[in-house]
Amino acid sequence: MIEKTIRCPSCKNQLTINGNPGDKIQIICPSCNSKGVFTFPHEESFLSESNPIQVLNLTKKFNNFIAVNNISFSVKAGEIFGFLGPNGAGKTTTMKAILSLINTNSGQIKINGISIHKDPKVAHKYVGYLPERIAFYDNLTALQNMYFYADMKNTPKGECKPLLDEMGLGGALDKKVGKFSKGMQQRLGMACALIGSPPILVLDEPSGGLDPRGVALIRKKIREMKSKGTTVFLSSHILSEIQEVCDRVGIIDKGVLVAQDSVSKLSEKLKLKPKITIELEQISNEVVEAVKKVQGVEKVDVKGKNIDIICDPKSKSKVILAVEKAGGSVINIQTKEPSLEEVFLKVTGE
Amino acid sequence: MNTTFEKILKNPVSIIARKEIMDNVRNFWIILITIIFAILTVAMSAFGAYFSEGWQDLGMTIALMMSIVQLLVPIIALMLGYAAIVGEIEKGSMNTLVSLPVKRIEIILGKFLGLGIVLTFSIVVGFGIAGIIIGIMVPDVNYIEYLIFIAATVLVGLVYLNVALFFSTLFKKRSTALGGAIFLWFFFNMILPVILMGIAFAGAAFSDILEGTVPEWYYGIQLINPMSVYSALVTLNVEGVLSSASGAVQIQYPSFYTTWLMVLILFVWIVGFLLLSYQRFNKKDI
Ligand SMILES: Nc1ncnc2c1ncn2[C@@H]1O[C@H](COP(=O)(O)OP(=O)(O)OP(=O)(O)O)[C@@H](O)[C@H]1O
Ligand SMILES: [Mg+2]
Repeated sequence: MIEKTIRCPSCKNQLTINGNPGDKIQIICPSCNSKGVFTFPHEESFLSESNPIQVLNLTKKFNNFIAVNNISFSVKAGEIFGFLGPNGAGKTTTMKAILSLINTNSGQIKINGISIHKDPKVAHKYVGYLPERIAFYDNLTALQNMYFYADMKNTPKGECKPLLDEMGLGGALDKKVGKFSKGMQQRLGMACALIGSPPILVLDEPSGGLDPRGVALIRKKIREMKSKGTTVFLSSHILSEIQEVCDRVGIIDKGVLVAQDSVSKLSEKLKLKPKITIELEQISNEVVEAVKKVQGVEKVDVKGKNIDIICDPKSKSKVILAVEKAGGSVINIQTKEPSLEEVFLKVTGE
Repeated sequence: MNTTFEKILKNPVSIIARKEIMDNVRNFWIILITIIFAILTVAMSAFGAYFSEGWQDLGMTIALMMSIVQLLVPIIALMLGYAAIVGEIEKGSMNTLVSLPVKRIEIILGKFLGLGIVLTFSIVVGFGIAGIIIGIMVPDVNYIEYLIFIAATVLVGLVYLNVALFFSTLFKKRSTALGGAIFLWFFFNMILPVILMGIAFAGAAFSDILEGTVPEWYYGIQLINPMSVYSALVTLNVEGVLSSASGAVQIQYPSFYTTWLMVLILFVWIVGFLLLSYQRFNKKDI
């Protein structure tokens, strides 16, 4: 809780209020009855100019549907920040808001300390963006498309060919983009995002539509950019991808940012084990004790005629063997793999 | 190189305009319509020039050409403009475009400039060839009047281009926008004239018109239709168009029908719809 003393704008009366950072509270001035809203500021460090991307209390509604619900986070200089969440969670919407592609309902976004609401044109100079749905000018060739973006970013055209080469499009420079496959367009999109070596990259599912070699290529490039000091903000719903490249992760679900953490801390939490439910004709103490003794078993719960066992996937057959040895007769066995949802639940501590 | 010139070339508006030109000069339909346009104007001018014995009679040629303009110029303009914004949004290339260091007004202006140049080019090519034929076949051609005619045509083309541009910011889908463009063509060519005719009936102007006198207020109301403004602009400035208008109706423009009023009205259409497009596009989620 922070305590804050504010002054009523109409009667200048002083009053003291309490709240958490980011809270919005309604105020009715006790002396003149005028109404107002006060938003408690986030810690100074949050809006520090050294964070290349700052998102504060961002909300976006589509008609009445809340796609992004009051989320705040920042991406620190030089890190790779992963945005993780299921389909429709609001990842793309958040990224679009950062690039001023959509109007937001409330919130503040800053790029290198520059408000995108006040000066989008300057803020965009620092960002290379790979949209989720990538498309180009079909009548123009790959090189002509890239020249256009290079011109718009006021970057020498000489960069374009090497970038296309690097993305494996060296043989398709003069091919019309209308004839490109989805994966080729994705590679071209990555090349375009890299024009002018922007200090910030915003990549919406960079490995979408790519073959394994393409995926490896893009991951290599992302790491290479990081080593040059580039700040990367990328989204994905592939856990392994996020785990492999990101320094920190934000998890978004149904428009709400449910966790922000370093990958090492998060992956500890992510090491969830499958849950095996064994239904028995009858439960006896011997069976439960026998199961508990099996190597790799973490947790055993008895619910009616069911035993819920959380264990290493490898121990599954040993568990069943132990149950049968102890005289239990099995009716049914179910295995539930840890889902993204469980990750969320665990991460949010629900 | 001149630095001001370099600055202009490096401005996002002109970069987008150049891209727009490159993208559209390869558009099959635009090329086809331009060719049809050129063939028709050449046919008309050859036909007109054949029967004329001097520039005076070329008013008739221009009167004939005006009917092609009324039919084809809106089609070229609507085809160039109807998908300008919605097409890029639907396809996805607008995602990248808006994310670049560029203001949305610059995107609208760039599109307008680029498409306007393509439109102007196809009009100038069509009438340019026709002009050459006229020059060969007719002595003492008044080129100034001919240039005024071309300029007026470009202006009215830009009006339709911007109406189309505005329509392309209204819809969510390219296909709906195409329907909208077709409706617009019908509206300006069929529905609006019929409405104006209806007004004439209702206002009892029709009997007057049949008797050969058109009341001033009816002339005033005609200015709603950009095509009427265009024909007035041409008629006021090209000698002989007026007299070649066939039929019993003697066109007698009221005194407020001036060149400057007509030019002003067309400019208001152009700028007005440009602003409307920007205002709509600015609010749009990509
Ligand atoms: N233009 C729009 N109009 C209406 N609803 C939208 C629009 N764009 C997105 N939404 C909704 O907002 C929510 C968030 O969408 P968003 O594209 O941000 O999800 P995402 O996390 O990127 O999902 P994915 O992993 O599938 O890419 C979804 O429920 C989606 O239906
Ligand atoms: Mg997405």
